[in-house]
Amino acid sequence: MELTRRRILATGGGLGAALLLSACGSGPRRAAAGATPPAGPPRPGGTLRVGAVGKASAVTRDPHGVQVNESDYLILALVHDALTVPGDRPNVAPRLAARWESDDLKRWRFTIAEGATFHDGTPVTGADVAWSLRRLRATPAGATRLPGVEAGGIRADGRDAVTLTSAYPNSEVPLLLRLTTFVLKEDTKDVARAPGTGPFRLESFRNGSARLVRNDSWHGGEVPLDAIEVRMFESPQAMANAMLTGQIDLASNVGAVAARTAEGRDGVQVIRRPDDMAMPIVMRTADGPFADERVRLALRLAVDREAMVRQVLSGYGAVANDVLGTGDPAYAKDIPQRARDLAQAERLLGQAGLDLSQTYELFTTEDIPGLAESATLFATQVREAGLNIKVVKQDPSVFWEKTWLKAPLYTTYWGTNDSVVFFAGKTLSSDAAQNEAGWKDPAFDAAYRKAVGAPDGARRADALRELQRLEHERSGYLLWGMADGVDLAAAGVGGLPRLPGYGRVQLERAWLSA
Amino acid sequence: MVERLTAGRAVARPSARRAARPAPSGPAPLLLRGLGVLAQRVALLAALLVAVFAAMEFLPGDAARASLGRGASAEAVAARSAELGLDQPLWIRFLRWMAGLPAGDLGVTSRGEPVAEVLGRHFPNTLLLGGLAFAVTVAAALALAGAAALRPSSALDRAISGTSTIVAALPEFVVASVLVLVLALWADLLPAVTVTAAGGGGPASAAMLVLPVLSLAVPQIGWNTRIVRAALADECTAPHVEAAVLDGLPPRRVLLRHVLPGALPAIAAGAATSVGMLLGGAVVVETIFNYPGVGSVLAGAVRDRDTPLVAGVVVATSVAVLAVLLAADLVRGWASVRRS
Repeated sequence: MELTRRRILATGGGLGAALLLSACGSGPRRAAAGATPPAGPPRPGGTLRVGAVGKASAVTRDPHGVQVNESDYLILALVHDALTVPGDRPNVAPRLAARWESDDLKRWRFTIAEGATFHDGTPVTGADVAWSLRRLRATPAGATRLPGVEAGGIRADGRDAVTLTSAYPNSEVPLLLRLTTFVLKEDTKDVARAPGTGPFRLESFRNGSARLVRNDSWHGGEVPLDAIEVRMFESPQAMANAMLTGQIDLASNVGAVAARTAEGRDGVQVIRRPDDMAMPIVMRTADGPFADERVRLALRLAVDREAMVRQVLSGYGAVANDVLGTGDPAYAKDIPQRARDLAQAERLLGQAGLDLSQTYELFTTEDIPGLAESATLFATQVREAGLNIKVVKQDPSVFWEKTWLKAPLYTTYWGTNDSVVFFAGKTLSSDAAQNEAGWKDPAFDAAYRKAVGAPDGARRADALRELQRLEHERSGYLLWGMADGVDLAAAGVGGLPRLPGYGRVQLERAWLSA
Repeated sequence: MVERLTAGRAVARPSARRAARPAPSGPAPLLLRGLGVLAQRVALLAALLVAVFAAMEFLPGDAARASLGRGASAEAVAARSAELGLDQPLWIRFLRWMAGLPAGDLGVTSRGEPVAEVLGRHFPNTLLLGGLAFAVTVAAALALAGAAALRPSSALDRAISGTSTIVAALPEFVVASVLVLVLALWADLLPAVTVTAAGGGGPASAAMLVLPVLSLAVPQIGWNTRIVRAALADECTAPHVEAAVLDGLPPRRVLLRHVLPGALPAIAAGAATSVGMLLGGAVVVETIFNYPGVGSVLAGAVRDRDTPLVAGVVVATSVAVLAVLLAADLVRGWASVRRS
């Protein structure tokens, strides 16, 4: 899928870009993911030492808490099972829930995997699952984690099943259960030390780092590794150094900068997981200077997408087409790729009558690597179309409080990119709780309702296509590219996750070579 | 040390004055003066804490929003604010926090953990790092400056003085980056980062301490070498030193017995100022080496607007700095008494 899209981009992007790339002399390194094959064959056992970024002041051990730290999420995801997990095709795979069905797409029944037990040996029941989901629903962000499902709509259904009732027909309920629906025993008090149901048991935890040992009776099949040691790193750079000097075997989500320094070193695999992170620019549609559709289109035509990918992402990424959810199997690859057209952009700005003597502010923050850089580069590119944009860097706390969901022009980022409908429901439909651009489009809403109200089939596919066409044409998003997730691994490690986003924590099939 | 200090002091004091004061023991005036200084510094710490609370207040954003996810509703943020007491005026929050301080209660972080527990896990590591760096700094500065002073104006003296000036101007992160690059990534002699032992809180091996300690110590060695060298040069012009040299005593003996004791107050003062620099530099160095100290906690706490945690770190580091300053005062007092 990724290769075909890249090929389309290569032809669509034009020869000019390719020439520019080679002229620069430091074009993106296009080594395919996992260019260094891991030394086989796999051997059973061994301890994998994994590094993940985390802040000492933000360590969380609540499976349903706010997991700012990747290290915390990694540990929780290995100890606990969510009901479903990210998959390749389809993008939802069973985990603690072995299967699910719904007649009307409102009432969903999830059946617990056979033989699923907690680490202390007791079997997992529908009551445990229902209690855990209700606990998740009751957290401050619960309404956005389980949209449309009220606490009262979560019920145990016999010993081995749970039913979820959505307020509206929603074919995406299984997808929404992928992330933090970690299951604990009913009425657990000490959530930090509670037994989980996952492939590894927590042996020890200290200061954000943990040692996990294999759960021999895991319901999900055989786990090759004896143990995983998760070590928390304050910065990706320290983590990369630890990887390069052999202090850890895997640096999870270490990022492009570290990968560039590691590329070409013996004994290091650079693993690229495409479609990992979206960093779109949000143009407010409800009011303000960007409410005019022509202005938004002008900005989309003014951005130089190849240059953004090359400079902001060090080439570790791909050009995107203003539609969020690029990793979805249903992603509309046939919508023509938008390319830079400064003349047309200037024409549109003139038609819209935007005051070009004014300077417009683009708000950004340094939450994730590359975000603020993307804003700066974008501003210089758009200047060539005659629009003056000033980048305003804000502290994260100010940004999320004052700018997000409100400002006329700002950067945002999202880590779940394997679902078009996820974004449609979460940020694009008129009544979405996190409608970042204040976009209200009746035609889009209709397409969204059709898509989530239809079971798999042609009707759903049509609706999904229509939804993406409208998003591409007139939404408030300018999605110039997608960042790869980049991991570094020692040569002897195999079976590593290749999926974007939270797919990176699926280490239960990882192995060490003999 | 205190015994020697008080003994020296008692001898130095004229007996008449001692009789005039109905103090229960000889060292009382010194003790009083020490207590006065201590009270002054504690008052300074209190003022510092006021400044910390005020500065955190003026920073935009608050802990309630920072400790919740990005999808949290306005009601959830408001509820969290109330729970953390952020709806109270600043001065009430400050007084409440200060009220717990004498009992060792440092409050609760915005994530609901006692601040004292967070410090208990991280501060000993920082003390270990800072303490080792301080010891290395003092030892190296004395040795280098001593070697330079033994042969004034020689090539060695010029080399040491010149190098120490350059090194003193190097920021810690430059030293750290170079050390990692050369000693860890190229030569593969030492571990590049600190990883904690499974189940333990500190570094997994002593080798992991070498690079962080050196990164912290190198700039301070430069600074202190210059101070010690200058203090030794000053002292060399003293009449008793000249007399000792004329007596034909070996240079090493003159340096250790006659020059060094006189230069000690200046050396102690210089070393004491380094402590603040070492603890400040630890914030940077700990991040580079992934060292599990209090520096990373502080950086995160400021980002999260977690005022009690920031204040807690300030108290812990201030107490450490105060203790060292007090020790330096004692050394200076002892040295000046010995001279007079």
